[in-house]
Amino acid sequence: MKKKLSIFPSILFFLILLSFFYLLISDRNPSKLPSTFIDKPAPIFKAKTLFDNDTFISTEEFGQETTLVNFFATWCKPCIEELIFLKKLSNKNELKIIGVNYKDNSNKTIKWLKKLGNPYSKVVIDSNALIGIDWGVYGIPETFIVNSKGIIKYRLVGPITEKNYDEFYVKIKESEK
Amino acid sequence: MTKTLLSIIFIFIFIVTHISPTITKAVDPDEFLQDPKLELRARKISKNIRCLVCQNQSIDGSSATLAKDLRILIRNKIKKGYTNDEIYTFLTDRYGDFILLKPSFKLSTSALWSLPFIFLIFGIFVIFQLNKKSKKIIK
Repeated sequence: MKKKLSIFPSILFFLILLSFFYLLISDRNPSKLPSTFIDKPAPIFKAKTLFDNDTFISTEEFGQETTLVNFFATWCKPCIEELIFLKKLSNKNELKIIGVNYKDNSNKTIKWLKKLGNPYSKVVIDSNALIGIDWGVYGIPETFIVNSKGIIKYRLVGPITEKNYDEFYVKIKESEK
Repeated sequence: MTKTLLSIIFIFIFIVTHISPTITKAVDPDEFLQDPKLELRARKISKNIRCLVCQNQSIDGSSATLAKDLRILIRNKIKKGYTNDEIYTFLTDRYGDFILLKPSFKLSTSALWSLPFIFLIFGIFVIFQLNKKSKKIIK
């Protein structure tokens, strides 16, 4: 009985070690951080719009219909690939896409969007990354799904691709449930 | 021969521990605050903020664009009169506790802080038990 008791702490120790190793090798990608904003209201901000130099007030834009907030830049190569899928989503006429032009040259972005096609209903200028930081953005592109109540339901770090498009579309649909 | 080898090792350790960290400092001179006290505060905070692009480096030593943006943001907040805690809260509210290189002690991080001590106590207990057993065998 005594022997059995003395083995118990060792078993416990190895179980704790095993659980640590499991957490290390399990389906975890340290390069993709979870957003702290999930199920929270979208951050409020004011900024200038790209094409008409108008003032964008987020409280007037969010909370009416499903909205995608896509942080992009012309210097970001995956953003070019992603544009096809953003256009596909925009053509469905089910949601609004707001583009946040992150640390970029405005003239270059206007030319870029005219050449490749513009999936955004409005593009906001974030020249000093302050909107990005406020949304917890750390890599471009990043896309947030904001539901019709103005709540952030999902964040995708990295581009929307052929591989994740269907899964992402399901997330858009689920955001209103 | 041994003396030469020892001095080479000493010089290498000295370079690694004293010189290279200053070489890798990424703070641009134009970022510096004019008040040395405020600048020191900014550096202290930046050293505890993880660069989310490079992850194992603080924003103080990282040349990543996001690291620079966060360094500027910290300095602007200091100039506006924010306290260190308010700056840390601002950043963790947006990026989570992961952004802190030294996470604060709270319920969600309690295991992280307490487990090393639990393991240490367990280790001492095991050594004590083994020592007791070996003494019995000797007797």
